[in-house]
Amino acid sequence: MKLEIIPWIILFLPMLAAAGITLFTLKSRDQSARLSIGAIVLGFVLSVFFIAVNGWGPLKMESVASWLEVGPLQVDFGLRLDPLSLLMLLIVTGVGGAIHIYSYGYMHDDPGAPRYFAGLSLFTFSMLGIVLANNFLQMFIFWELVGLSSYLLIGFWFERPSAADASKKAFLTNRLGDFGFLLGILLIWDTFGALNFSAIQVELIRNPQALGALATVVGLLVFCGAMGKSAQFPLHVWLPDAMEGPTPVSALIHAATMVAAGVYMLCRVFFLLDASGSNALEVIAWIGGITALLAALIAVQQNDIKRILAYSTLSQLGYMVLAVGVASPTPAMYHLTTHAFFKALLFLGAGSVIHALHHEQDIWKMGALKNKMPVTFWTFLLATLALCGVPPLSGFFSKDEIIAAALNPEHGSVWLFLLTVGVALLTTFYMARLVLVAFFGSAKSHEAGHAHESPKVMTVPLLALALPSAAGGFLGIAHLYGKQLGQAHADYHVLAMAVSVGAVIFSFAFAWGLYWNAERDPLPEKIGALARAMRDRFYFDELYEATVIKLQEIAAAMADWFDQWIIAGLAVRGIHGTTELFGRALRLVQTGNLQTYAFLFVLSVALLLFFVL
Amino acid sequence: MNLSLSILEFAVIGAGLAILLADLWTPVPQKRNLGYAAAAAVGLIFLASMLMQAAAPAYAFEKMYVLDGLALFFKRFFLFAAVIVLVMSVEFADRIEAGIAEYYALIMFALAGMMFAASANDFILVFVSLELITVTFYVLTSFQRGRLHSLEAGVKYLILGALASAFLVYGIALVFGVANTTNFGELMGSARVASARPVFLLGLLLVLVGLGFKIAAFPFQIWAPDVYQGSPAPTTAFLAVGSKAAGFILLLRVLFSAVPEITVNWTKLLMVIAGMTILYGNLCAIPQRNLKRLLGYSSIAHAGYMLLGVAAMNSAGSSAILYYLGAYLFTVLAAFTVICVVMRGVEGDDISAVAGLHQRSPLLAASLSLAMVSLAGIPPLAGFFGKFLLLKAVVEKGATQPGCYWLIAVAILGVVISLYYYLGVVRAIYWSKGSAELSDIKVSWPIQVSLYACIAAMFYLGLFPDRLVNIAMEAVKALKL
Repeated sequence: MKLEIIPWIILFLPMLAAAGITLFTLKSRDQSARLSIGAIVLGFVLSVFFIAVNGWGPLKMESVASWLEVGPLQVDFGLRLDPLSLLMLLIVTGVGGAIHIYSYGYMHDDPGAPRYFAGLSLFTFSMLGIVLANNFLQMFIFWELVGLSSYLLIGFWFERPSAADASKKAFLTNRLGDFGFLLGILLIWDTFGALNFSAIQVELIRNPQALGALATVVGLLVFCGAMGKSAQFPLHVWLPDAMEGPTPVSALIHAATMVAAGVYMLCRVFFLLDASGSNALEVIAWIGGITALLAALIAVQQNDIKRILAYSTLSQLGYMVLAVGVASPTPAMYHLTTHAFFKALLFLGAGSVIHALHHEQDIWKMGALKNKMPVTFWTFLLATLALCGVPPLSGFFSKDEIIAAALNPEHGSVWLFLLTVGVALLTTFYMARLVLVAFFGSAKSHEAGHAHESPKVMTVPLLALALPSAAGGFLGIAHLYGKQLGQAHADYHVLAMAVSVGAVIFSFAFAWGLYWNAERDPLPEKIGALARAMRDRFYFDELYEATVIKLQEIAAAMADWFDQWIIAGLAVRGIHGTTELFGRALRLVQTGNLQTYAFLFVLSVALLLFFVL
Repeated sequence: MNLSLSILEFAVIGAGLAILLADLWTPVPQKRNLGYAAAAAVGLIFLASMLMQAAAPAYAFEKMYVLDGLALFFKRFFLFAAVIVLVMSVEFADRIEAGIAEYYALIMFALAGMMFAASANDFILVFVSLELITVTFYVLTSFQRGRLHSLEAGVKYLILGALASAFLVYGIALVFGVANTTNFGELMGSARVASARPVFLLGLLLVLVGLGFKIAAFPFQIWAPDVYQGSPAPTTAFLAVGSKAAGFILLLRVLFSAVPEITVNWTKLLMVIAGMTILYGNLCAIPQRNLKRLLGYSSIAHAGYMLLGVAAMNSAGSSAILYYLGAYLFTVLAAFTVICVVMRGVEGDDISAVAGLHQRSPLLAASLSLAMVSLAGIPPLAGFFGKFLLLKAVVEKGATQPGCYWLIAVAILGVVISLYYYLGVVRAIYWSKGSAELSDIKVSWPIQVSLYACIAAMFYLGLFPDRLVNIAMEAVKALKL
């Protein structure tokens, strides 16, 4: 057996698992879980094995199969194996594997568990497809599949209207971004006549002016796709609502993998964004910065533990997009990787708390969980510190590189730098608030008083994720990405380091003062309207409700009227009525009277002869 | 004399006689099972026909009888249809008061007539084989002697059929009178000379009237709905498939191997007839509530579609007819098999009787739905590809005959209209409100086998049409196109 087949196996194992579950084991929770977990764990083992044997590549394995040819368009179905995709392969199967196992405990009592695992496997398959795709069309197909499986998983508890609405919202918002992405792909195809990443790259190196005036447009259209999937302002509204799904889903999709797809895609096609004559990067940097700041501000005044984490995710994604925008894809991917570890850990920890408190998610009804759930607490604390950027945890290194990149005068600016520092301040503040309120102080509800640590099947994945969250800075991840995407600038590291550590200390002290042993949130009294705006997410949903959705409803009403009266009424019913009238009229000929029939027969013969002869 | 060429026909007749004889010794309760014996015998003959080859045309009975690829194609077609019709008849047996064995035997005799028709190379054999078919059908249509509808259908078919036969035989006489021969091969030589005389054309037109009656083409379709509605379901099925296909093979032979020079001048006539037939069948089907009557009109429309292939006057058109008949065979037989099972004890064959069928028997519901969808010509079922081939042939013809584009427009209009009533049946099955009868329907295994075979064939022909298209292309080489 040739080694090249291994990545194909890794890709298709989850799909087989999903198919197997839907076709055969929908009745059995255990078998379904086994299939799904087995597929991804085997995938992880195979990935490790493959990398151990083959090294990090880049391996030339493209154009394995010509998939379709339509006129001049030729689309291959191939896998691209380079450090970027191989590392992502490890993250998706590794972090995903931990979450799959955790799900087995979390979804233990849910009657829909087999459906859940089928969805999880389908998602894994789609995500792996994005990661391994070697051309735009293939990536787009899996891109859409990810959207679909995310829709299925967010709406997993579809009997709850809020979950059904959230899944619809996520899907539609994503589609909006995807539309731009598709336009971008079409433009690229129109310009280059190819969809393969390396073919486009080669062409762009040969002729840097190939895109001409369209360079910025193409870059921004492609970025639209990332805006949807990575929930960047102004398409960020779906991600917090997506927390309606089961918590492991939030961990897998809305923290570690799917939302990272946008950033991954930006890094994958970075050569396109960076093309000469393109101003796309500048826009991308600012969108990322605004998202990071906005989300961090909102996170400060959220009370739902998962929503805090969701906005934190948004904010960190903003960081990554900003990093891409300042022409530093390596720190972006680096932060993506470490973030996948500790954010998945945070979500799983939150899930563990929610599980223990019988689905209570309000942090003001928790408290004093430190001693009752030690494993959850310590891993959660570790992930929090990593997220805040406390040295020597993984988040410190990756965030530090982004802050340093923002300072780089070539692409960054002082304003972007101040923005990143501000976000770092806010990050520590809202995470400290979360930990202080939920784990310290006194128990603020009956459930919190009687909480117990979660079962082993849930705590072991926590421990497994804690390891890379802590040590992620020492694994040489940045170096690996650097091999492909170019090393990060090392110039401003000391300043960035000093500022970020200072921010952590300052911010933590501030949060300590406000929230140590607090029974309720003192902040709204202090800053009033601003706190309300933060709590209400700066009224984005309301704004969209009033504008986009209203407009859409008016358009829908008009279309409905047109359909009902002009198309269905005049066109369809009119034609139908006329046709039916003919039918009924002709029916009168068919009297059933034999003499009439014979007469008509002979008459017809006579007429026939008359006309022909 | 080369009797061995018509061995299949003799085998069928022999088997029919054997069934009649066996009836004498079979105890009454067992008589209906003779149908399975008959089906098995015909099935064996069908398999035997697969061994036969007809690379070059071979003649028998003073060149009256020809065995070529075309003839063999149709013989197999008729044999297969008869097997399923016989299985259906067994299912129907309890609704026939007496003489079920004769019913089986008559089906086989009609089959023999169709097989002779497939080989007809002489107007005499055309007439004899047609009479063999028609006369047996007079009896088959009125076999439910207790039912007034059945008797009425029989009488109508008899009188109108006799009228058509009269025209046919009169036309043959006129042709013979001018050309001094009834053999197709000899006619071809003399037709050019004879065509100058209007009497010869008159004779040919009268022959066409007779054949038009068999295929229920406009304006000779008037009998079809009443007869389809009143006859026992297996008879209707055989009428729709076998008798119509026999009409078409004779039409093809007369037009394209006896008088191809004259046929060329009749393009417009054939186009008009095809268009009118399509419109008439589809329009009249809309208000129908009786399922068998609806299929009667539908069969008129399908005759119209197949006439497109005749009007196209190229080998693509003729081979498309063959393909279309192949697809039509499985589709219509599936539909009638379901009707035969479902309409037990239902008076009037009303569409409402299939309401909720998917709860009573998913197989029957799926078969009927697929049959309707295939008849409507929706991919990936066989019916779609048949229509596609026919329209393609007409489009090819359009290069020389601009009127063809109008014909295509009419055909497509017909397809659109037909969607309405075909899907109406599907809707009646799945989305009827408050169907009274919801008891399970037991489906015997021979019926199950034939339904599965029909469904498989519908999909196979729709998805992998190459094989049958090639066979059809090969078969129509026998015609002078």
